[in-house]
Amino acid sequence: MKCLNPIDAAVLADYWLAALTDSEEEGVELHLLDCDRCGERLREVIALAEGIRKLAREGSLRMVVSESFLKRIAEEGLHIREYTLPAGGSVQCTVTAEDDFLVGRLAANLTEAKRVDLCLCDEHGIEQLRLADIPVQSGAGNVFYQESITFAKAIPTSKMVARLITFDEAGGERQLGEYLFNHTRSMPGPGVWQPM
Amino acid sequence: MDIELDDAELVRQIGCGIDREAEAEFFRRIAPRIRLYGLRHLRDAHAADDLTQQVLITTLEALRAGRLREPEKLTSFVLGTCRMTVLDLRRNAQRKQRLLEQFGADLMPPVQPSLPGLDHEKLRHCVQSLKERERAVVVMTFYHEQTGADLASFLSVSEANVRVLRHRAIHQLRRCMGVDA
Repeated sequence: MKCLNPIDAAVLADYWLAALTDSEEEGVELHLLDCDRCGERLREVIALAEGIRKLAREGSLRMVVSESFLKRIAEEGLHIREYTLPAGGSVQCTVTAEDDFLVGRLAANLTEAKRVDLCLCDEHGIEQLRLADIPVQSGAGNVFYQESITFAKAIPTSKMVARLITFDEAGGERQLGEYLFNHTRSMPGPGVWQPM
Repeated sequence: MDIELDDAELVRQIGCGIDREAEAEFFRRIAPRIRLYGLRHLRDAHAADDLTQQVLITTLEALRAGRLREPEKLTSFVLGTCRMTVLDLRRNAQRKQRLLEQFGADLMPPVQPSLPGLDHEKLRHCVQSLKERERAVVVMTFYHEQTGADLASFLSVSEANVRVLRHRAIHQLRRCMGVDA
């Protein structure tokens, strides 16, 4: 089982994703047909890929996603509850048992922004969590924030403030937009705030 | 059977006449490797099993008949056989797909490949603890099985940078999950 020239797990992931050139792929395949240690590592990579895919489909990750990701989710027949807010806007929102994904479409002028943070704050505006340097598409006027559906189904009626922040050249923060979510619980559960 | 024999030596023994032990050892070694090739190219456990069986039969026939003159080139021979067999299976799959569309796809439930078990909650924690861009790359990559231009556009970076982010994230996830990075 010894391997003198092991293939890096990330390269094996590229192989699994068909992201290698033809000659790179041939080199990897010849090695894998001769090496059980690297084959075992490839199985680990495949298991990791499958696990991440399952997590993605559960809607339980808190993250910024792309519009094409949401489109693909919808094509799979999963139900997305989406709220669209302009900068400075607020919305009455909830989540039901039928929802698989919860997404806030936050409109903002992102043209000049080189780095953008998404801050999640309590009803008093006090920052509770910051998603630093989120993916922002050049020229896009929206950020798609996916809230964990597991979390959203568990929280009591409450308010959450989201803020998009960018930075000037001196490192100072500048707000791009603030968004108020007035969440009303529509599912049974504990009546206290339980941050995840 | 001396399990220290390398693959080329096994090939020579099989080519010298019917040696059931050598053949069994050869099957034991090479079958999982062919199956991985099948999973990668066919994305289906049943099809990977079919591929493994067919490639083993073809290879064994060649070895018994002494057609592989340079045993050191076994892996090249097996790889070539895998490629040809995948083409055949894809053609058959297209025929099967037409039949399934005609008679109903629920006749064939999916089968999960035998892969190492993962602690799902730990993985959730590990994915959530990645940096935002790295998380976006791995989640969207493995969900879509997409690697290139769309992700680069979403992140406003080059495709090469997407690859760097993906590699970094995979190493971090493996460390977080407690396997060698």
